[in-house]
Amino acid sequence: MRAFEYREPDNLEEVLSLLHDHGEDAKIIAGGTALVIMLNQRLIMPSYLISLRKLAGLNSVDSADGALQLGALVTHREMETSPVIRDQIPVLAETFRQVATLRIRNMATVGGTLAHADPSQDSPVTLMALDARVGLSSSGGSREVPLDEFFTDYYETVLQPDELLTHVQVPLPKPHTGSIYLKFLPKTEDDYATVGVAASVEIEPSSQLCRECRIVLGGVAPTPLRVKEAEALLSGQKLAPELLHKAASVVQEHTDPISDSRGAADYKREMAGVCVRRALEQAWQRALTESP
Amino acid sequence: MTHTIRLNVNGKEHTVEVPSRRLLIDCLRYDLGLTGTKEGCSVGVCGACTVLMDGKPISSCLALALFADGKEIVTVEGLAREDRLDRVQQAFIDYGGFQCGICTPGMVVTAKALLDENPDPTVDEIKEWMMGNLCRCTGYYKIIESIQGATALEPGGE
Amino acid sequence: MSYGKIGQPLGRIEGPAKVTGEAKYTADVLLPGMIWGKVLRSPLPHAKIVSIDTQEAEQMPGILAVLTAKDLPDLLTGRLVYDMPVLAIDRVRFIGEKVAVVAAEDPDMAEDALASIDVEYEEMPAVFDAHEAMKSEAPLLHPDYRSYAHAPQKFFSDIPNVHSHVTWKLGDIDKGFALAKRVFEHTFNTPAVHQGYIEPHASVVAIDPDGRVNVWISNKMPVRARELLADVIEIPEERIVVHLAQIGADFGGKGSLMDAPLCYHLAKRTGRPVKMVMTYTEELMAGNPRHPTSIFLRTGVTEEGQIVARQAKVVFNSGAYAAFKPVPFVNIPGAKDAAGVYGTPHIRIDAYSVYANCVPSGHFRAPGDLQVNFAVESSMDMIAEDLGLDRLEFRKQNLLKDGDWVPGGPQLEEVRVAETLAAAVKASSWNQPKSQPNRGLGLAVSHRLIGTGEANTQLTLEEDGTIQVLTPVPEVGTGAHTILQQIVAETLFLSLDQVRVETASEIFKTDSGSGASRVTYVGGQVVQQAAGELMKLILAAGAKGLGCAENEVVFEGGRVVHSESDGSLSLAEVAKMGGDGKSALRVKKSLNLSEGPPMTTFTAQVVELEVDPETGQIRLLDVVTAHDVGTIINPLGHQGQIEGGLLQGVGFGLIEELRMEDGQVSTLNLGDYKLPNIRDIPPLTTVLVEEELGPAPFHGKAIGESSITPTGAAIANAVYDAVGVRFHDLPITAEKVYWALQQHSGGEG
Repeated sequence: MRAFEYREPDNLEEVLSLLHDHGEDAKIIAGGTALVIMLNQRLIMPSYLISLRKLAGLNSVDSADGALQLGALVTHREMETSPVIRDQIPVLAETFRQVATLRIRNMATVGGTLAHADPSQDSPVTLMALDARVGLSSSGGSREVPLDEFFTDYYETVLQPDELLTHVQVPLPKPHTGSIYLKFLPKTEDDYATVGVAASVEIEPSSQLCRECRIVLGGVAPTPLRVKEAEALLSGQKLAPELLHKAASVVQEHTDPISDSRGAADYKREMAGVCVRRALEQAWQRALTESP
Repeated sequence: MTHTIRLNVNGKEHTVEVPSRRLLIDCLRYDLGLTGTKEGCSVGVCGACTVLMDGKPISSCLALALFADGKEIVTVEGLAREDRLDRVQQAFIDYGGFQCGICTPGMVVTAKALLDENPDPTVDEIKEWMMGNLCRCTGYYKIIESIQGATALEPGGE
Repeated sequence: MSYGKIGQPLGRIEGPAKVTGEAKYTADVLLPGMIWGKVLRSPLPHAKIVSIDTQEAEQMPGILAVLTAKDLPDLLTGRLVYDMPVLAIDRVRFIGEKVAVVAAEDPDMAEDALASIDVEYEEMPAVFDAHEAMKSEAPLLHPDYRSYAHAPQKFFSDIPNVHSHVTWKLGDIDKGFALAKRVFEHTFNTPAVHQGYIEPHASVVAIDPDGRVNVWISNKMPVRARELLADVIEIPEERIVVHLAQIGADFGGKGSLMDAPLCYHLAKRTGRPVKMVMTYTEELMAGNPRHPTSIFLRTGVTEEGQIVARQAKVVFNSGAYAAFKPVPFVNIPGAKDAAGVYGTPHIRIDAYSVYANCVPSGHFRAPGDLQVNFAVESSMDMIAEDLGLDRLEFRKQNLLKDGDWVPGGPQLEEVRVAETLAAAVKASSWNQPKSQPNRGLGLAVSHRLIGTGEANTQLTLEEDGTIQVLTPVPEVGTGAHTILQQIVAETLFLSLDQVRVETASEIFKTDSGSGASRVTYVGGQVVQQAAGELMKLILAAGAKGLGCAENEVVFEGGRVVHSESDGSLSLAEVAKMGGDGKSALRVKKSLNLSEGPPMTTFTAQVVELEVDPETGQIRLLDVVTAHDVGTIINPLGHQGQIEGGLLQGVGFGLIEELRMEDGQVSTLNLGDYKLPNIRDIPPLTTVLVEEELGPAPFHGKAIGESSITPTGAAIANAVYDAVGVRFHDLPITAEKVYWALQQHSGGEG
């Protein structure tokens, strides 16, 4: 690890001011589970490390106005165990529970996983399928960005060097909606997903037709991949195997995976299809169960 | 670029001067001489470096020493009390929960945190907690037996 | 036969130290003034070193020394053949080869300095595949290999890059094939696999003011390490002390000097104790993984389904150096099992160990056995199917019997393979009707000859009446020290706490250390014999003390008793009297077994699994492992060996692969190189087929390298049974299964 200056402000203004002064040459550290590895392997060598570990106020889960507001410093373990989240958006708790191991989840934060922008991560995929928005702040002001406009490339986002991701807003699912995150782990139970799929399906209860849906994939493109063309196929349709196959092949056309130890690109593309089918079917079933 | 941190390790207060890039594992092992905590993979996967920070298992290889400022850390050296082994430690011996022993500090620390939170875990719950601790010797069967066995013992040393 | 201490499921004697963190491994050694060494490694697979500029590095803060090959004696090293430089001399032969070393006040400073060493290379043509390396146009890695110290002349070859060619024969192979009605040919491949011990290699060297060299090293054969180190640092053995630390598992991989010679040179240069600990990335890039292997089998079978001829050509990719192979023929012993557990009258096995520009390969638990068993047991299923025979019946018909010979082994007695196989089958659902589609059963059988070699011990009756057992074998995790304690306690009729096992390497000249399932057998015998001799000394001294003849005393209730007079002496009293009134009662003993017993040990496994036809994912539903065992000295440790080995076998079959592309390992951390975790374990049933007739003390048998061997083949055979696809390459990943199924069904998925 190359030497760096460490700053540990206890208020947001100071964080933003440090980012304003040193943003280009600084890294934010929260849980550190990804960043410390990159530092240790000298993949990044910032001059300043701005720690959020003594920063108050960004670590709560609040429910208001039909949405959950998640502070950027809420840990994965808190996401997994929070009664509010388990009750109001269970798929979110389920997703965070599938991230890495308990030790990592005790440290890794919601804001960190989004800002890190590794397309193999699980939770960004589900958050995107839930129409989450992120709040970004700089000393110049604040803005909100829909998550599906946040990621730009492998490990790249719209975050500017002077900006901090402060919170995530997740709208509560509409009634008659079923959601699922499906993590495909063909090798061992502790791994990045070869393919991860989050599917959310809202149905018209009387007809059981799909009113609206979201399909987002991880691990198969430079960013979490939302496939609107496949979503459109399902609107107004009834659950049927042929329909799912059609949606799956549309999804496959949009994937752009790389080959690595979790699978060659062509295998990941095939599995994206299988996983999308399975995820949609399960989400649909959940929507039906939730619609008495 | 050094900082002074104050941390409580196994009930004892320490003040340590560390460079900003010092990892918690190196601080424990080399600044404080607590070599019970082991380094295996250095990327947070193997769990040999597991310690408890404010009661929660973390990878000390993924934490800067600075993260421990003002925190309570428990390492494997802090489990036994007055020469009496913690029940998890005793059970790992009785049930053959280790062979070479290199993963054992992380295993017993994690298992201790598990039983503190959930005194009577199912096999699935044991597996979920222990998934982050790799052992190459035992095939894990006896680790599960050890943790189950520990639940039947009196909580030790407290 | 019933025993007191033998057969007890005992926790480890080093248990309290290991569960409290007190146990010291090499990386835990902290010495005053200690500094850190780190190496710079080659980024190229084959290149000339044109120049190395270390000037900038030398001037960086905290840097105490920077060394390259020109600073070291012009010497090579290795576990047997000396073919590897301590730092690359003029040329690098694999990605990860050590080129320069830095000593610094802390490891971060050392890394800072490494980044500023400038090496100019001139790339050379490289070869990565062993078969390619054997072609006439291949670049030669070691044109002078015949001149290396300890190169095994008897096994030289004219094939390019082959540094050892070993042949095992039984009968007359041509005659065998002449007898055959059908001849089958099959080829199989297995990848490089890392041992996966969680403790990376570590070394510490501290030089005393009087020149004595103190060494701590994660090495399972410290006496041999001292000998090798003496040669490569040019210091007499007597001036080197290898201090024994705990070893964070070995599995065959911890027998080399690794960074110890560099620690010595840095310590010598700086006058400070030096520690070097490999990162796990360095382990995966430059450890000594299991040899990538290709196995060609040619099998001759009669009309009646009798195997009459087996020819095998086994090619081991040795990597850039042969330095990690410890056996005299510098090849991989497991190749000799290419006839499996089947009585075959005519056998010829050729094993080639081949240099290539990859990470040098080494030993990993049951070296060669796994690769070859995967081939043999897969081919058994294939041949049976082709002949229209039941795969179990075909095996039964050909099993080894008493009086059969095995290649490289003895004429066998007490062959219990049929019983072992039957036990595995009985405990599984083999004879039940197939339950569901995409589920399948596979079986595989293996055997392993017990290891030979040299073991030493020294037993002393201490003044407090306890027995000190000194062994030069470190505890690598197998429970050897507990077993030695049990054997001594049993032999001397003492309680366990009266026997203390301690390690020391200084007092022994030579020793084979831990490995080859040898410790209980040879190491157990040497302490048993020494204990017997010590008892004689105790009785003699006791008799003298009691003023009677030796034949008038007995050892009873922990005391030497003169039955007539009822006079008796405790062991402490005897100890104080000593042998001749002065010296302690002590037996130092060495045992060197060059030939094993006429007995082998069998393992049979049945695997049941399910394949997800849409993804290719395999789920293990049930594993049965049956073992041919003798007296079990410590059931807790014995079962631990079975379970741990089994999961390594599962890893070999389904998960593990050190992926390499053009000599570059791409799985460079344990996040990418996946080891099985606690959620990956299959339901496991162990069956022990017991009979008290093993060759080890109290009729024990070896277990350490048994359960790992047949698992890969059993899985492959079960996959075939489930979905009709045959795999010739391990590991059988979901991805491979998926594409095979696509092809199988004509792409109808």
